[in-house]
Amino acid sequence: MKFWVSRLVGAFALILTVSAITFGAMNILGDPLFNILGPTAGDVSNPESVAKIEAAEAQFNLDKPLPVRWALWLGDFVTGDFGVQFSATGQPPVSDLIAERLPRSLMLLVMAQTMAVIISVPWAIWSAAKANSAVDRTSTVMTFLLIGMPTFALGIILKYGLSIRFDWFPATFVANDPFWTRAWQMFLPALTLALPSAAVYQRLLRTDLITTLQEDFILTARSKGVSKRNVLFKHALRPSLFSFITIAGVTTGTLIGGALVVEQIFRIPGLGSAIVEAILREDFPVVLAIVMIVTITFVVLNVLIDILYSIIDPRVRAS
Amino acid sequence: MSDLGMTEADAVGHEDPYPERFLPHEGDQDDKAEKRKLGFAFWLCTAWLVAVIGLAIFAPYLAIKSPNVNFVQPGERPPYSPSGEHWFGTDQDARDMFSRTIYGARTSLTVGFSAIAFGLLVGGTLGLLAGYFRGKIDQIISFGFLSLLSFPALILAILITSLLERSLLTIAITIGILSVAPVGRVSRATTISFADREFVLAARSLGARHPRIIVRELLPNVLIPMGAFSLLGVAIAIVAEGSLAFLGLSVEKGPTWGKIILTASQSSRDLENAPYMAFFPIGVLFLTVLALNFAGDRLRSFFDVRELSL
Amino acid sequence: MNEHESFHHPGPSRTETDSPLLALDNLKTHFRTERGLVRAVDGVTLTLNRGEALGVVGESGSGKTVLSRSLMGLLPGSAVTSGSVKFAGQEILDLPMKQRRHLWGAEMSMVFQNPLNSLNPLMKIGKQIAEPLRLHLSMDKANARETAVALLKSVRIPEPERRLNQYPHELSGGMRQRVMIAMALACGPTVLFADEPTTALDVTVQAQILEVIGEQRRDRNMSVVLVTHDLGVVAGHTDQIAVMYSGKLVERAPTKTLFAEMRMPYTKSLLKSIPKLADPSHTRLATITGRPPDLVNPPKGCNFAQRCPYARPKCHVEEPALEPTADPNHVFACWYPVGSPEFTEREAELEAAGYVPATVAGVS
Ligand SMILES: Nc1ncnc2c1ncn2[C@@H]1O[C@H](COP(=O)(O)OP(=O)(O)O)[C@@H](O)[C@H]1O
Ligand SMILES: [Mg+2]
Repeated sequence: MKFWVSRLVGAFALILTVSAITFGAMNILGDPLFNILGPTAGDVSNPESVAKIEAAEAQFNLDKPLPVRWALWLGDFVTGDFGVQFSATGQPPVSDLIAERLPRSLMLLVMAQTMAVIISVPWAIWSAAKANSAVDRTSTVMTFLLIGMPTFALGIILKYGLSIRFDWFPATFVANDPFWTRAWQMFLPALTLALPSAAVYQRLLRTDLITTLQEDFILTARSKGVSKRNVLFKHALRPSLFSFITIAGVTTGTLIGGALVVEQIFRIPGLGSAIVEAILREDFPVVLAIVMIVTITFVVLNVLIDILYSIIDPRVRAS
Repeated sequence: MSDLGMTEADAVGHEDPYPERFLPHEGDQDDKAEKRKLGFAFWLCTAWLVAVIGLAIFAPYLAIKSPNVNFVQPGERPPYSPSGEHWFGTDQDARDMFSRTIYGARTSLTVGFSAIAFGLLVGGTLGLLAGYFRGKIDQIISFGFLSLLSFPALILAILITSLLERSLLTIAITIGILSVAPVGRVSRATTISFADREFVLAARSLGARHPRIIVRELLPNVLIPMGAFSLLGVAIAIVAEGSLAFLGLSVEKGPTWGKIILTASQSSRDLENAPYMAFFPIGVLFLTVLALNFAGDRLRSFFDVRELSL
Repeated sequence: MNEHESFHHPGPSRTETDSPLLALDNLKTHFRTERGLVRAVDGVTLTLNRGEALGVVGESGSGKTVLSRSLMGLLPGSAVTSGSVKFAGQEILDLPMKQRRHLWGAEMSMVFQNPLNSLNPLMKIGKQIAEPLRLHLSMDKANARETAVALLKSVRIPEPERRLNQYPHELSGGMRQRVMIAMALACGPTVLFADEPTTALDVTVQAQILEVIGEQRRDRNMSVVLVTHDLGVVAGHTDQIAVMYSGKLVERAPTKTLFAEMRMPYTKSLLKSIPKLADPSHTRLATITGRPPDLVNPPKGCNFAQRCPYARPKCHVEEPALEPTADPNHVFACWYPVGSPEFTEREAELEAAGYVPATVAGVS
């Protein structure tokens, strides 16, 4: 119980810290007023623009000290109000923009992780069952190549090979298509993200499986007459999943980074392109909102991983 | 022969009901023997790296075409396919891809190596201090590393590059900052593994001061495995530059690998009609990254560095 | 045991009683390794009757574990076996792995040394015991559960119902070993291999575990192969003892005979290494100088000669064969056995020189 309390407190502390740093950095290093009003922001000789400046300052709370602004922003954020965009119109509200973009990125990530797991688990089991055979050695080389492959290079190769040369998969995303069509359009982008992760998972799980297969209780299971196959699936797999789960959680961070690039290559208007556009326009509320969403996802995932641990391992549950 | 007592016919080979487990002595020796050799592939990778780095450094003095001249051939629209004149072909502006790839290497490799140099300087030092002093200092530094790691790396890079002017230095330092935590953790782990070896304890008991022990006893020992590890870091830094380029956030001036690959692949039509534009630089980039990974991997197991991935 | 009659094992039928349950003839298990062929078991000939308990003793590394696993067939891929192992009259050494597997847990099962690691830490006790029941006897869940409770009760585990839903880490070492035994006995095997079943346990628990194994053997008319480095363990719990040294059988006799008139100097030093209850708990047992020979390049002559204080030149040249004594059930391989004139002569010399007979370290 104590463990979970400290775990949650830590998670909240991290989210708050990230928001404070991001908020502070953008307001100190950037020039919010300029981003809202453009050149008018610097024009204090003209009473008309001074009025505009004052109005904008009031609207965006720019006249208040930084910590107060942060607190106000945080208060809004918690209620789901991410503020208005830093632009002359401020439209659409950041929440609307996020609501439009988030599902696409989420879908991409979920598809990618699912594919990575679907590819890596059987692959690792196969390799571990045939440790040091030709199959296993080939797999090791393949994972090495995949892990070394940059996401953008893999994206271009897949796009060229599977979509341009052989027209097997769509290469572009159309926002208005029906759900399943869009899911199909996301296949290649998700695969681009999934393959290198799958390679990482495969290596890890294979190693852990081979270690587990040398445990005494595996011999016990064999001596009971359990078939090799069932030994793998019923006895060896579960105890081998721990580092796999940890890494799957950690790589979600990498995956989010990779997703930005993949969204660019396959032209998916998701959070990735939103944050890139926002950064180039120095549209801070959008950047902030996206950074927060990413951080929260990351933190929540880590808590989920702890919960998953305790489900898998009764010993963790007890302590 | 007779005491072997076994002919081919009555010897029964066993299917493997479970992997080798009894006594792994033999396996251990096997591993060590493998570690002591770097192997042919390692030298092949080194040769490739030397070639690429050499070309990049000496490009201005070699008979290589300028990367920015438009070699337009009258009556034909670029891009031009690879030929004796343009080994890798040309891009849409009829610029020679071979020389652009080499000049791209100049920027990309500079970014990669300086980023890791930064990471080694900052992260390596912090890790060394944390690992040597332990206690409070270690706790603070380790928490710092953890916080850095809990930020999706690319988002952090985007934040920094977007707020600053994108010179070669900014990009290198940005990527360098990303490498601080991973490099620091390895450095810390390596330091800890050395910190209670006899020679350090001996130096201590002889009354050597902390700075002296750190510089004279620990640093040389930590530096070698860290060097091996940082090759992997260079590979990752090079890829990071490419990713930034795809977000439009790489070095503003001059070609980089990321930028030329982006230009070559941006439109599907170009990719369809002139795939060589993208695939030659991708090939060079990939081989370089692989060579760095492989060489780093070999060196790492050669020096037996703790497994801690970036 | 009736309920088991109807199940189809590729193995031998239970009605065949005239032949011994296990008969090994010149069994060899060699491992292919980088260094060469490791002769872990090098020509063992033995028989074991139904209901009988055989103790296999020898110091660590003498090949006891490999021997018992060879009999089961649980060997890594690098192992090469030859010779013959007949189980109830049927040759099983060359049985394909798929068929052999059906004997495991059903006809022959194994209990291992370390109960802490021998149970799956992530699986409930009940499920682990039910596994062989469902596999070999095709029981349904409820039936398997009931049988599991009965089994746990029979190995004297208190509150058996509650145990079914517990995980191994919730039980003590002794309890876990009982669970292992219950699991091994689940399908009523005809032979149980217990490889150092008590080595990892407290002394008091050791006795209880051996008691449980003995009880089950009598109740089920099951054969037991009890592997241990400790002659003290086998003393009260076996009918027959086989002493192994560097992969070879060096002495075999009915238990009583062996203790009364052991012939191999090696057996004698093993006996000396049994800690006496009277000894203060940290008495160090003297160890014989030298180590067991290299199994890749075994020495000429008797393998034990180099460490044997009674060895004479002949021992280093010629290998003694297993010879029966007056009692045909007592065989040993030694040129100058305990009681022979040469032995007595050397013993007197040694005693005169103030030599304290040393023992072999019995650490597994
Ligand atoms: N898989 C294997 N590969 C090579 N040698 C092995 C293997 N398993 C056991 N051995 C060797 O066989 C010998 C006997 O081992 P073991 O049967 O475990 O001894 P004991 O159980 O009597 O202590 C040892 O010398 C050991 O090194
Ligand atoms: Mg043993």
